[in-house]
Amino acid sequence: MTNHPYTVVLIVPTGIGAEIGGYAGDALPVARAMAHVADCLITHPNVLNGAQLYWNLPNALYVEGYGLDQFAAGRWGLNPVRQNRVGLLLDQAIEPELRWRHLQVADATRATLGLDLTEYLVTDQPLNVCLNTADSGATWGTIQHPDSLLRAAETLIQKAGAEAIAVVARFPDDEGSEVLQQYRYGQGVDPLAGAEAVISHLIVRAFQVPCAHAPALSPLPLDPEISPKSAAEELGYTFLPCVLVGLSRAPQFLLQSTRAAGSIWADQVDAVIIPADACGGSAVMSFASQYYSKWEGARRKPPKVIAVSGNSTKMQVPPDVLRIPAIRVNSYLEALGVLVADRAGINPTALSPTVAPLQCL
Amino acid sequence: MTTHFITAEIDLQESPIAMQQEIEAELQKRGEPLRWAITEVNEESQKVVVEAVVTQPGE
Repeated sequence: MTNHPYTVVLIVPTGIGAEIGGYAGDALPVARAMAHVADCLITHPNVLNGAQLYWNLPNALYVEGYGLDQFAAGRWGLNPVRQNRVGLLLDQAIEPELRWRHLQVADATRATLGLDLTEYLVTDQPLNVCLNTADSGATWGTIQHPDSLLRAAETLIQKAGAEAIAVVARFPDDEGSEVLQQYRYGQGVDPLAGAEAVISHLIVRAFQVPCAHAPALSPLPLDPEISPKSAAEELGYTFLPCVLVGLSRAPQFLLQSTRAAGSIWADQVDAVIIPADACGGSAVMSFASQYYSKWEGARRKPPKVIAVSGNSTKMQVPPDVLRIPAIRVNSYLEALGVLVADRAGINPTALSPTVAPLQCL
Repeated sequence: MTTHFITAEIDLQESPIAMQQEIEAELQKRGEPLRWAITEVNEESQKVVVEAVVTQPGE
């Protein structure tokens, strides 16, 4: 009998215009399919968050990007939980009516889904989020008062007993720019995503607890041309439900390699799936580094890196130029086939029409 | 604390582990790295472009 749980990491980086996963939770079908093939799927909020929409995947771990980078580097482990007590952190800049909408969503998840939330907290200063786009086309952002964000998170953790933090920051309303229209039509880069990652990264780095973010925005006017890939964000007043659901079962971080029973570490990962032109992120480079350095205590061979050409992004970083050993596939359907073969102990190349003969070394 | 977006051009390294170490050392000179990615590789010049957000102390 085998064996360890077959563990897969699915990464679609945030705010880089991924054709699949660059919109409103539109990589969630990919995650659902991979969760069916894997015993354990590790992925991140950009993949699983669909605003009002989400899907309960019992064997999926919802890991924020900074935590995923630390996990991949072998510095942090993941400790699955039955339920986290989630603290809701609201930006002081959110107007009263919009604040009520978010509070009602939070109460709805308590009453309808049975989630456990602490009392909420409002930051002592407006966070003042600014949005930008880099030369690469990736979006990013800054907040004017990160210390106010961190003070509020600390209070929720230390005084209210929060085990995970859901942040809602007031993002600037867009008065109908071409960038926003392209995004809503399923063609551009998510203008908010990069700044959202900065907010959640700040909290995870400071407190080592699960965190995710939902932007507070005024509702947009109806547009019949909205792409199905962006449509999940047109359903209601907030993007908060998926965040609360995801955080309610997000694994806690273990900071020392004590290998608590049931915990998961980077050297237990069997496969990593990434868009083929976006291999320059910290997590995928850390996983690939396992090919070059045998970690102390590492128990298995390095994970297969599966690079999906059919999910193009604004990045221009294929695996080979960074010397990342990768299996290139055309689509997520093909990636699923590689996972099935790998899990079955079959070399995927044996499923090709031709197999090259062995050569003498 | 303040948050800053920065870019850096760094020599392409022989392995992902060396590349990461080089990037993190360069970013540390400019603040505490929060998020970074290589966004472009120029094989001719053997350079990579890194975009990053770092934090610095102070209001």
